[in-house]
Amino acid sequence: MAPPPSGPTQKDTASSAAASESPAPATSAIKAPPPETPTAICRRSYIVLSFWLLVVFLGIPFWWKTTTIYRADLPVDRMLEWADGKACRPAIPIQIAVHADSLQEEEANHLVRLAQHAIDDLNDFSGHHLRLQLAPRQDRPREGEHDPKSALSIHLKPGDATTAALDPYRAALDITYPLNSVPPLHSASSMLTTYIATELRSTFAEEQAIVSYLLSASPSSPTSKPAGLSPAVVEALEKRATRALRYAPTYHLTFSLFTDGPTPTTWDIDTAINEYMKPLLDVLGPIHNFTIDTQVQLYATPGVQSQTLTMDDLASFINAAEWPLSPSIGGAPTINFLTFIGNQTIGFPDSEGQTSQSWMIPQWGTVYLLSQPDTNNHVPKDALRQPMLTFGGHLLTLLGTPQSGSLPLRLSSLSRIRSADLLLRASDTLGSLARLSRSLSSIAIPRNVADGVAKSLQHLEEACASLGGSEALYHARIAEEEAERAFFEKSMVGQLYFPDEHKIAVYLPLLGPVTVPLVMGAIKEIKRLLQARKQRAQEAKEKKSQ
Amino acid sequence: MRFPLSISSLLTSSLLLSTASASSDYHERLNLRPLPLSNLLASFNFRSNTSLADFESQNFRLFPRSLGQILQYAGTRELHLRFTLGRWDAESWGARPWDGTREGGTGVELWAWLDAETDEEADAKWLTLTNALSGLFCASLNFIDETRTIRPVVSFQAEGDHPNTTLANAKLLHGVLPHEVVCTENLTPFLKLLPCKGKAGIGSLLDGHKLFDASFQSMAIDVRPVCPPGGECLLEVEQTIDMVLDISRSKRPRDNLIPRPIQGHELVCDTSKSYHSDSVCFPVDHLQSQEWTLEQVFGKSIKGACPLTEPGVPPVCVEVPHSRSIFASEGSTEIKSRDSASRCYDVAPEGDFNLVLTQLDASSGDKELVEPEQPLLYADRSFTGYGQEHGGVQAILTNPGDEEVEFVYMESLPWFMRVYLHTLSTRISAASSIPTTSAETSAEIIKEIYYRPALDRERGTQLELLLRIPPKSTVFLTYDFEKSILRYTEYPPDANRGFDVAAAVITTLSPRKMNIRTTSLLLYLPTPDFSMPYNVIIFTSTAIALSFGGLYNILVRQIVGADEGFESPVKSKLKRFLAIIPRRLAG
Repeated sequence: MAPPPSGPTQKDTASSAAASESPAPATSAIKAPPPETPTAICRRSYIVLSFWLLVVFLGIPFWWKTTTIYRADLPVDRMLEWADGKACRPAIPIQIAVHADSLQEEEANHLVRLAQHAIDDLNDFSGHHLRLQLAPRQDRPREGEHDPKSALSIHLKPGDATTAALDPYRAALDITYPLNSVPPLHSASSMLTTYIATELRSTFAEEQAIVSYLLSASPSSPTSKPAGLSPAVVEALEKRATRALRYAPTYHLTFSLFTDGPTPTTWDIDTAINEYMKPLLDVLGPIHNFTIDTQVQLYATPGVQSQTLTMDDLASFINAAEWPLSPSIGGAPTINFLTFIGNQTIGFPDSEGQTSQSWMIPQWGTVYLLSQPDTNNHVPKDALRQPMLTFGGHLLTLLGTPQSGSLPLRLSSLSRIRSADLLLRASDTLGSLARLSRSLSSIAIPRNVADGVAKSLQHLEEACASLGGSEALYHARIAEEEAERAFFEKSMVGQLYFPDEHKIAVYLPLLGPVTVPLVMGAIKEIKRLLQARKQRAQEAKEKKSQ
Repeated sequence: MRFPLSISSLLTSSLLLSTASASSDYHERLNLRPLPLSNLLASFNFRSNTSLADFESQNFRLFPRSLGQILQYAGTRELHLRFTLGRWDAESWGARPWDGTREGGTGVELWAWLDAETDEEADAKWLTLTNALSGLFCASLNFIDETRTIRPVVSFQAEGDHPNTTLANAKLLHGVLPHEVVCTENLTPFLKLLPCKGKAGIGSLLDGHKLFDASFQSMAIDVRPVCPPGGECLLEVEQTIDMVLDISRSKRPRDNLIPRPIQGHELVCDTSKSYHSDSVCFPVDHLQSQEWTLEQVFGKSIKGACPLTEPGVPPVCVEVPHSRSIFASEGSTEIKSRDSASRCYDVAPEGDFNLVLTQLDASSGDKELVEPEQPLLYADRSFTGYGQEHGGVQAILTNPGDEEVEFVYMESLPWFMRVYLHTLSTRISAASSIPTTSAETSAEIIKEIYYRPALDRERGTQLELLLRIPPKSTVFLTYDFEKSILRYTEYPPDANRGFDVAAAVITTLSPRKMNIRTTSLLLYLPTPDFSMPYNVIIFTSTAIALSFGGLYNILVRQIVGADEGFESPVKSKLKRFLAIIPRRLAG
């Protein structure tokens, strides 16, 4: 058994003191030890030094190497720049092709220039601007053909009065004008250009409001208040944002028939979907993919039994504990469309007598109450028409489509809004990751996180450059996916459960007893060196004085 | 009728078929069989079909959507899932229901044919399947990893009608979790899969309190494609629940579950005893079957027929001799079978349905229950040996019949049970004579061995033996094994309980096909003290620190003679103090 550390230290001090100074008078009974030879003293210094060298140059690096956690280099500054909105100022240019085949080329050019001026004067939001462009003349105007680069085409036609109409099937605005309203070549403005500008502005007003809201809602924006939006509009936009599901390339639609009792047990869902839902899903095809399943559930008791459902009842109508509405497996989020066979009605407290059959549950789906006689064991296709059309309308809302305008225009603006949204989300996630890696120094960062961040940044740049075009959605989607994957990397969390305190507790029994002699030895050696130096100086002084 | 306005010929054909099969897409049946010693076997069977075309287009009607999606996602061709609790007492209850094909070993057992070209693909799909089913049934099925998964060669055969090409590309995987405790949380999702949800039909009898109070209970889910001759293929999901209820236990009132001595006037006396009189009673207790009603046994009555079932097929059947009288609720019709051993009841669509089985007059001499059928084999398995290093397994297989029985004995053993296959031996004994050991008989009994040895931490042992037992004889199958020591983190939280070893599966090939499972075993492994790692760290740290301190001090210190140097201040002080004491004492 070794003596406790304090023992030898004291003894050592005593002996070293004895070596250098005169023996203490108190212990005169014991012989003074012979003075140590300078070689022994020197050897001891070397021993102490070599121990320390071993510890410093072998022990500590080895310990460091074996206990350190891998932290891949993240471009933290770049990520924070994206999060703060410094790397990219989201600006959505919207190309509008003007078809004015009835006008002279010069006249048309002048008209476009004037209209562009008028639009620029009206626009007060830099993130979203309209660019007019005169479309190349076509000898034979081909119907249905649409330039993929332009979001909208304007067809100017001479007519009796100034009118504008959105084409319900194409992204096109038909404007008729009286012949005399065409601006002469040198005029500075005209009724027609102002008319075109206001028409375009009202067409894109909702999209512009949404984009401006998105930019202001994201933490990266410099201003916290959306520019030029009234509180009512902001509220409506907030509602839209909470209703819409998060973007996913694929959604899973579940059509369910629930009934309180044993009937009906069959429904013509296949034909009903083909007839009423498929056209809508086909149109949405370029933005989202859809998978569909259907089910029939009997004896499904709703959470609320009352005949007239109040607004509060609607929230608890879905019997989540008993109804098999589990989300589908696979990555796609599920949207539920539920047809409940029952004669319940929804009552509004403020409007007497008015009832409704369906309601939407934000980010979840829709419930439609379909009343049918008990004896009918089958739901025919015709009875499903109204539910299906309701579901279609609600699907657009759940996907976050703007409310106004023609369908093609709404969808193209949906894809622009989504790409701006994804861009902001991805930047935001990257910013969170950067802040996380800065604030938690003990968190491991695996290599694939760094790779994901690099890929995300690259796609973000491409998306930012192509915002407003068709490529933007693709790039923004990949950027968001990679950013999310990097942020939710599983192995990053594990390290948190092994804190530094734990490590110290484990190593202390080893490090404590080893460090004490080492440190004491070092202190003693330093003391001795200092004393020797002082003595030498004194001796030199004495020598000088002699 | 799903496609009344079908456009293509494909749709038309499916229309015709669905019309044809619409009436019989769902079947349910409850079979009640009183067993000796006042037990009652209740076998619930629910079967629903969907056409493969509907399944592929994800139009679910009677087939549960949640299960269907999992099957599609994991590319499953055929699925068998079992939740079992308790032990089937073959000695007194006889042959198993469904010939043992609808029951599993204790815990959870799962086997499935998965569409996969390679083993790796099969493993990936198996992982998906177990994880998804784990979520659906609230069971720890996700713990079925590679070490608990085997690929049986001869024990399991696909039950469904598969085209030859699909089965060639399908891989069979079998996993078992003997430790899993089956309980109410597994029954609730099971009932949700039924079209009538346990709200109507025989499913309304199922209740967690009674089901998990049973002496033996087994829940099974089987999904397989069925191709009726000349028809389109269907996907059939069959859900089965077998439970053996102790009638006297079930009849106890729910609010007073503590067993109490029977009141004098309720005692059932054996009147055949010569000393029986009004004042003397010899209680028959369990020896005689009791009277019971459906409501007493299950705690509730059937709430009308499930409207999806085919009318005319009676859902409730009771297997008692016709001599015993049964009363049924109004509105139901009784259909007696010709063999005078069972009768069935058609349940009215509305209103409660109850059955009352009367007590048989002991003096009448009539049979009170249908004699249980003798099983083909009795199987029993246990551990032998002692100590924490080695052990042995002994399986006792008895053929009580007059025919030779050929069967496959399959074991799926955990990797930490290292089997010595060379010690595998059999000895045979005729029913009444003394067992005789002989090497020749051993070779005759085991026809074939399929053995896949375990790899540590990667896979378990798979042992399949093809055996043949002559009539009226018993075979003792034994082998030895070594217990390995696990790593610290591989022990479960309740390590001292032991490790469950899955039941052996016996599949008879001749004279007819049936399944028997032995009970699972509890293997006790050497268990360390779990504070050990910290003890080791502290112990080694101290040892290193001590040796380091000693070494360092010897190296650094100046060594002087014993009479040289200084006395330590403590020592001199102590000396002075000691010198004072005698002086004080003297003074």
